[in-house]
Amino acid sequence: MLESVTSLDVEERQRLEPHDALETKMEVVGLDAWYSTKQALVDVNLNVRSNKVTAIIGPSGCGKSTLIRCLNRMHELVPGSRVTGSVLLDGKNIYGSDLDAVDVRRRVGMVFQKPNPFPNMSIADNVTAGLKLAGVKDESSMKEVERRTLERVGLWDEVKDDLKRSGASLSGGQQQRLCIARALAIEPEVLLMDEPCSALDPTATAKIEQLITSLKQTYTVVIVTHNMQQAARIADYTAFMYLGKLIEYDETTTLFENPRQELTERYITGKFG
Amino acid sequence: MARLMDMGLNQLNTMLLDMSSLSQTAVAASIDAYSKGGRGSEVRKMAERLQALHRQVSDLSMEVIARYQPVASDLRFIKACFEISYGFFRYGRYALDIVEVLEIFGDLAKCDRSAVVDTAKVTQEMIRMSADAFARRDVNLARKIPAMDDTVDESYRNNLMKVMNAKGNLKCSLSGTLILRYLERIADHATYIGESVDYIVTGIEPTA
Repeated sequence: MLESVTSLDVEERQRLEPHDALETKMEVVGLDAWYSTKQALVDVNLNVRSNKVTAIIGPSGCGKSTLIRCLNRMHELVPGSRVTGSVLLDGKNIYGSDLDAVDVRRRVGMVFQKPNPFPNMSIADNVTAGLKLAGVKDESSMKEVERRTLERVGLWDEVKDDLKRSGASLSGGQQQRLCIARALAIEPEVLLMDEPCSALDPTATAKIEQLITSLKQTYTVVIVTHNMQQAARIADYTAFMYLGKLIEYDETTTLFENPRQELTERYITGKFG
Repeated sequence: MARLMDMGLNQLNTMLLDMSSLSQTAVAASIDAYSKGGRGSEVRKMAERLQALHRQVSDLSMEVIARYQPVASDLRFIKACFEISYGFFRYGRYALDIVEVLEIFGDLAKCDRSAVVDTAKVTQEMIRMSADAFARRDVNLARKIPAMDDTVDESYRNNLMKVMNAKGNLKCSLSGTLILRYLERIADHATYIGESVDYIVTGIEPTA
């Protein structure tokens, strides 16, 4: 089945090489990934531009979550998993022997589908949990990080008077922003988001989308989403995946207005299957 | 399985085909009135109906966008609907303008009408081609229209030069000039409709 789907051809890959004005933050080169004997990614090649939002869309099981987990070496945490090919972060292979997986995950943070604040920790402790794990002990700098990151995600005014409250007591949308604050507290360079709004109502979703759009000034963002309208709203670039292959990757406006691949056209117009 | 959006898209397509047919009839009736000396009184109602349909197409297009957030070829079709519907509406409006010229100028039986009638034949062929290109999403046919636009433009310019140097019947030259101007505008809209068909099928935007 995998062989019947054409991925990006050489000409399209060349066309999508970053222009001089657009720096590449991460470059996926010939990436294959497996869960035991099942191949989940097939020869994926993708340039993630600096300070842009890149969305990955595709039907369930197409490999988009696997791909995003390969970008910070979380895929290898699954027993029996395997990766070949390379993922370059600022030109250095994150799977190379000279880069530590923990350091990679510090530089490439992740926010998950379901808000997952540490339930037994306060709001403040949730924000600084990563810093404490990294050995930071200075109280005043912790306070500074708490305030700065909670302000960054638009949560400070809502929680500043009750920072000792449990993170789990917040609403779903607030919890997700808290998780984003926790990811930002350790100052990553890239933020990966795996369906960050799928458990949220439209109001909370709108706040997260506004936040993502503002975050790209400082960070490079890669988001997996089932919601094509969300990709169209917030992403600068969109990649469409199917059966483990990258079928099409282009500027979001082009991909949604005039896709080059018939498969993309059929998927985004709902004529699939 | 048909998508919910298909109902709206099919309705838009049907409305545009109705407009296409009605606008061709309206222009034919106005040219007939000029060449054969009729009044073309039925054209006004057709033009009004085309205006109403144009508004309905705009409303339905907006509704489909609001409800279904179309993308790719669906989005291109809706974007093109605005241009195509406007083109058909303008065909009707210019047909009415021609009829109004006849109302103002009265009997033109003694005028040499050959230049206008010849240009009208080209223009009507352009209208037919634009309508067929839309109905069949025929890019090749759509791409033949711009060359014909040059013929109509040239006829209009030649007539202007003739009028400027002429010593003949002012009523004939003025009515002929006005009608040729309307035909020239119709030809432009036929070209725009052809470009919109191209855009629906290929995604290629017309160059300015």
